[in-house]
Amino acid sequence: MHTPVTRRTAARTGALLALALAAGTTAACSAPGPAANAPAADSTPTAVSTSLPTTPVTLKLYDGQGLKSVDDALIAAFTKQHPNVTITATYDPDNVTTQNQPRQLASSTPPDLVRVISVTAGTKNNLLTNLDAYATAYGWDELPASQLAQFRAKDGVAGAGSLYAKASGFTMTGLYYDKKVAASLGMTTPPASLDELSSWMTRAKAAGVTPMVVANKEGGGVFPFQLIINSAMGPKKVSEWVFNAPGATIDTPEAVAAATTVAGWNKAGLFPGSVNALDATAADALFASGKALFFPWGNWDAANLDKTMPGQVGFFAMPPASAGGQVAAMSDAATAFGIPARSQHKDAAAAFLNFLSSDEARQIAVDHGFMPSGGADQAQPSIPSGSVLGDVTSAFAKVSAAGGQVPFVQNATAGISNRAWTPESQLLLGGSSTPQTFVANVQKSYEDELKR
Amino acid sequence: MSVAPGLRRGDTVTAPTSRPATARPAERATTRRWARPQRSRAQWAGWLFALPALLMYAVFELRPILTAVQCSFYDWDGISAATPVGVANYTRVFTEPQLLASIVHSLVLIVFFTVLPVILGLAVASVVREIRSTWAGAAARTLMFLPQIIPGAASAIAWTWMYSPDGAVNQLLRALGLGSLTRAWLGDFTWALPAVGIIGTWLATGLCTLLLMAGIGKIDTSLYEAASLDGASRLQQFRAITLPGLRAEIGVCVTITVIAALASFDVVFMSTQGGPGYSTQVPGVQVYQLAFTENRIGQSSALAVVLSLLVLAVVLPLQRVFKEK
Repeated sequence: MHTPVTRRTAARTGALLALALAAGTTAACSAPGPAANAPAADSTPTAVSTSLPTTPVTLKLYDGQGLKSVDDALIAAFTKQHPNVTITATYDPDNVTTQNQPRQLASSTPPDLVRVISVTAGTKNNLLTNLDAYATAYGWDELPASQLAQFRAKDGVAGAGSLYAKASGFTMTGLYYDKKVAASLGMTTPPASLDELSSWMTRAKAAGVTPMVVANKEGGGVFPFQLIINSAMGPKKVSEWVFNAPGATIDTPEAVAAATTVAGWNKAGLFPGSVNALDATAADALFASGKALFFPWGNWDAANLDKTMPGQVGFFAMPPASAGGQVAAMSDAATAFGIPARSQHKDAAAAFLNFLSSDEARQIAVDHGFMPSGGADQAQPSIPSGSVLGDVTSAFAKVSAAGGQVPFVQNATAGISNRAWTPESQLLLGGSSTPQTFVANVQKSYEDELKR
Repeated sequence: MSVAPGLRRGDTVTAPTSRPATARPAERATTRRWARPQRSRAQWAGWLFALPALLMYAVFELRPILTAVQCSFYDWDGISAATPVGVANYTRVFTEPQLLASIVHSLVLIVFFTVLPVILGLAVASVVREIRSTWAGAAARTLMFLPQIIPGAASAIAWTWMYSPDGAVNQLLRALGLGSLTRAWLGDFTWALPAVGIIGTWLATGLCTLLLMAGIGKIDTSLYEAASLDGASRLQQFRAITLPGLRAEIGVCVTITVIAALASFDVVFMSTQGGPGYSTQVPGVQVYQLAFTENRIGQSSALAVVLSLLVLAVVLPLQRVFKEK
């Protein structure tokens, strides 16, 4: 039996269809981005308290997967001290946090503790809580200045101004070396100057081992370059560049000289032959093969090297141009935790930030391979004997005391690593570019991105 | 419910499909008055069935496309308020040498993603056609299709290992006494793009072979018999029978693989990320990096729109070429 479809029903169906299509597409009509009347959040609290609420409170924490073990340990220790606080953590794969963190921060119900990747991006839209009032209340100003400078910002420039984050620990970079290979060459103490380093590399080449393991498929060639400019340009100038200080430039004679040195090392065959095709895993394997002398890399590999080459690996901070000069290293936060402006539990979250530089938290950081946050007058965390981590920690103490903590140049802007550092360093080491073009192109890309 | 006047008599009228196909012209003339609602009834009922699919299409296809087009006229970081910038994002696509170079790379990839697989597919399909054993034929089909079921990202990783300085490719070259040719394939400015292309060839050949074998199966075997009785060689048979008979299938192969080449992402992203230098950068990877690592949604959308138009500009004329006569 047929139910006749009338014109009206037909019209109704038509309207329904049009409505459906419209519903599917209309949202695209307004300008992208939040509405102008989005609720304002309190990004600069003044009435702060260092005492925790007595009622149960649940904090949400967001971080990268790679930091899960250290974060879990910190959370366990903190909540043991404060049983009425519960912290539920969410972890994303590390390479995804860069993309997801800005969205987490911008959410109307953000986590209470969040990994801060770019302080300036977080402050730009008033999404991060200004921690100055907490810093005064808790006395964080007594911490070494270079441990907090990275998390300060003022008028869109990081490095100085109000505090927006606090670190759970620090990374540390420098040169690993194979003690067995070094001994066979006659190297008993780490080189004290750049020239000395070069001469050991030349001798290693003559002995048939790879003098320096550099993996440039993902831009690892920038490592030795920055290690050199950290002391040649000085930590202040390099940091200012990363923090986008007005007028900062990497196109300096010191940087050109550093690029010349690195390109020269590669040309002299002091890097692996396939430097542009080598990734971090392959570099690790090459160093672990026991046929390489130096490996410019960081603390994150210490536990792995202890396992694959127990007792055989040493570490030292990059030597300055001449013995006794400025020592420096790329060293940023394991995780810099900040409090989103829309968090409802700022006092409790700040108590967690304060806990991060306690003796207990320092030991947890070191146990997980990171350098401890906090002052030199605090108790030194214990390190298992024979671990390369002992060398890394003492190098960090030396660099920290010299005010030599520098952020990574790859973090200067969101796009600079992909857009400039990696491809340009590949062109440099591949012999298709000159040291001057290398720094000039990076600087151009940097300026393009900042003025957009 | 009120009924349109013309329909009152329609109670006795059956659906158009059951109307006698041999209706005389005079009868048709009398039914025309109320045939219109009948037609629209069928029409609208059809649309109603399509509604769920249409809704999904509108929400998950049309809307994102329109949003991307809209975003391409803004400078937007994905979070804060967007500022309209006119066509500045498009100007940049066509003036920034790296963005332009990435489009050229994707055109080069067509050689590896389309031309080689179709030629190889034709060769393999012609040979397999002559394999009488069903077992061997099935085995050949399975082996050829195997790459197609492996995700592009996974095969890119496997190929990265094979291309590594001590990987299978270089080992093979050394075993053949061609040690002088060994190199770090993906780290070489000249060879990285062809090396990435070969991964695409490996992925696409199976699909093309399978499609072309199915096509060959449809060609009347008596044509081949007649041709061979007339003394036509294998090559002549291929040119006169196989090739024209496969016109439509080749068209499908070319269309799918050209789109895969121009919009390539997974293989390049997992094997080189565009390096060394800028030598394997393609628009697909650029779109991703601009949007998700650099938070430049507007610029990324503009490049994506240009990429879509480029795909259409290449694929639409191809449709015409391969249209069956």
